[in-house]
Amino acid sequence: MSDLKNKIDDLLMKVNKPARYTGGEINSVTKDVNKVKIRFAFAFPDVYEVGMSHLGLKILYSLMNERDDTYCERVFAPWVDMESLMRERDIPLFSLETKTPLNMFDVIGFTLQYELSYTNILNMLDLSKIPVRSKDRKGYPLVIAGGPCAVNPAPLSDVVDLFVIGDGEEIINEILDLVISCKKDNVPKEELLRRASKIQGAYVPSLYVETYNDDNTIKSIKPVEDGIPVVIKRRIVKDLDKTYHPDKQIVPFINIVHDRIVLEVFRGCTRGCRFCQAGMIYRPVRERSKETLIELADKLIKSTGYEEISLTSLSTCDYSQIESLVYDLIEKYKDMGTGVALPSTRIDAFSVNLLNEIQKVRKTGLTLAPEAGTQRLRDVINKGVTEEDLVNSTKEAFKAGWKSVKLYFMLGLPTETMEDVKGISDLAHLVADVYKDVNGTTRGLKITVSTSTFVPKPFTPFQWYPQDDMESIINKQNYLKELLRGKIFSYNWHEPNMSFLEAVISKGDRKVGQAIIKAWESGCKFDGWDEQFKFDKWLEAFESIGVDPKFYAYKKRDFDEVFPWDIVDVGVRKDYLKREYKKAIEGRLTGDCRLYCTGCGIKDLDEGVVCFEA
Amino acid sequence: MKLRAKFKKDGDLRYISHLDLMRTIERAMRRAQIKFSLSKGFNPHPLISFGPALSMGAATHGDYFDVVIEGKIEPERFKRDLNKTLPNGLEIIDCYIVDDKDLLSDKVKEAEYTVDVYLMSYVIDLPDEIKRFLGRDEILIEKESKSGIKIIDLKNYILDFKMIEAKGSKITLYVKLKISEGSPGPTYVVKALDDFLGHVFDMEKILIDRRNLILN
Repeated sequence: MSDLKNKIDDLLMKVNKPARYTGGEINSVTKDVNKVKIRFAFAFPDVYEVGMSHLGLKILYSLMNERDDTYCERVFAPWVDMESLMRERDIPLFSLETKTPLNMFDVIGFTLQYELSYTNILNMLDLSKIPVRSKDRKGYPLVIAGGPCAVNPAPLSDVVDLFVIGDGEEIINEILDLVISCKKDNVPKEELLRRASKIQGAYVPSLYVETYNDDNTIKSIKPVEDGIPVVIKRRIVKDLDKTYHPDKQIVPFINIVHDRIVLEVFRGCTRGCRFCQAGMIYRPVRERSKETLIELADKLIKSTGYEEISLTSLSTCDYSQIESLVYDLIEKYKDMGTGVALPSTRIDAFSVNLLNEIQKVRKTGLTLAPEAGTQRLRDVINKGVTEEDLVNSTKEAFKAGWKSVKLYFMLGLPTETMEDVKGISDLAHLVADVYKDVNGTTRGLKITVSTSTFVPKPFTPFQWYPQDDMESIINKQNYLKELLRGKIFSYNWHEPNMSFLEAVISKGDRKVGQAIIKAWESGCKFDGWDEQFKFDKWLEAFESIGVDPKFYAYKKRDFDEVFPWDIVDVGVRKDYLKREYKKAIEGRLTGDCRLYCTGCGIKDLDEGVVCFEA
Repeated sequence: MKLRAKFKKDGDLRYISHLDLMRTIERAMRRAQIKFSLSKGFNPHPLISFGPALSMGAATHGDYFDVVIEGKIEPERFKRDLNKTLPNGLEIIDCYIVDDKDLLSDKVKEAEYTVDVYLMSYVIDLPDEIKRFLGRDEILIEKESKSGIKIIDLKNYILDFKMIEAKGSKITLYVKLKISEGSPGPTYVVKALDDFLGHVFDMEKILIDRRNLILN
């Protein structure tokens, strides 16, 4: 092991950001590997700075290491400079804590946050000399995967032994217990997986078969033997307030993407935006009490020394006691120079008042997400925000001294016309007018408009709707470039080819999985990174296995079509999603379900599932 | 009150940058509940200042930082408390009170280094070669600076340069240099020697340790 450490040491002066590979950070966990029963590698298929920003890693790393019988270590995708040196010198991918090669672990757990990181999973396995296909992995570590993208497990079904659907902290201990007992009794992997498949929320893809109709749609996904669940019910933490939240977080030496304490105030979202997968698959809303949060914040601040604490969730300003929580935290820690951050901001004057409070300690940027340029289209996506909201909130912000605003939109939303695209520019100009009203001039003003490309996702009302094609997106982007001229505006857009691939994989079946393996074999990795993305290699990969990617992204789906992800029950019912789809096309709104129940079905998923009640 | 702390940084912490080091010490002080003063303005930051930046990959056994503290703390206590919260690889080795007007940047004049290098080919008498190297009238090198590449004379900076140990192919050199705005680090000295000797060192495997910053 120390031999490997020396070999790694020899590389570190030759690569960018060597501290990505050293470990040893404050609050990282050291254990005697001989005194644990199971070694778990938490594998994040992107670079250190991205992976270390991820809340799920923080929770599961701490939770698993609370167990005396388990040692959870971290492993990230090495950046391409490190990878090429490792391959040249035959150095296997290793864990940060003990520099142990990945193939020496009992379990490797990948988190699936983004479809374009899937090739990195294959690459990480391969870098540890682990075969990428599960059928070739006799005698190798168990490979499991969870996270939001696992709600459609089909594309990685040939790679992953066991998927975990839902809240990881709810199920991981059962999986660890099972692996420990099977290891003790020398139970072979197939039998372990058969037993695992009976745990609620676990999906063992090798025990199911996907069949197709002549038109390439799915005919069925069925278990291959009796006694295996026909549908995988998502696991849900029922009482978040009583659920484990780490009171320590690793403090990296190098700057990571979100370099601050992350405190999860609630899970789920009640807004019901129709494009938003997270808003559907993390239901219901479950809050932590203010008392619990204040106590956790204190422990986290003391154990990390961080200068900022972020109150995180899908829509933090919706937290029922947000104002007093923010106020109390600011008062308590301002003398230490520790500030509070809100990651996603609702567009109303109330949020701006909160931001004003926050700004007393640390100046933050103002980021607002109207998502669509016209009221008509905002109604289609159920983004309950009006032009008036935007005017009021930016007015308050400019009065308080803000000079720059970031506005986030999506292009290619269902029913979008060029009029809606122009609406994006109109809103940006309107915000400029508001600034002029407040300050008498546009001097000093900076408005950044960013557009991403809409990707229809499983378990959303738009799962039946085709993605806008790449040419059309490019036209719309060019149109906005024309409209957003002038010094005060800057316009950022997203690579349309990447969004296309994201749509293909997120709605993909097992055949798409073959293409992913093929693409990786021809050199694809870090596909979410502009400078690494090789779209032509991807197209070749699809071609070589005889699959048309456009089928997955561009086909308008029938309401009675079987989807690859129908094997999973996230709790939100299909009839609710259909109803929302129809209302979207008619431009009708659905209210916030904190106010009244909109009947999504989540309460029937499981015993004890309680929705937020106002 | 203002404290001056002498610290060492080695092991894996050699791979963190100067900015990373500053953040790491700031956070360790918060964990130790040491109340440092904050600057005024939009983004308050701790009033800490460091000596000349170390290059990535270099260790130190004698660097300094100054920090302004709210209220009072015994230097010994500061050292003890902070050492409990610093990560492995960082350690405060000395701490004392200085006058508020005393600026670290005015005090740093010289630095001592050891440099480990590996020989790729045999040199008969390295100590003697170093003497020959230093015996020249001038040692001109190209040095990158903010305003582009400049020619400088190393002889204006080298106060002492010798071999202190040879173990097989591993050579340990001692370098003492003047420190001023834009002054060269020890890598330039070793590289100039390597050029002079016709490339005998493995310059990819060079290990720098700033043994001491000398304050006046």
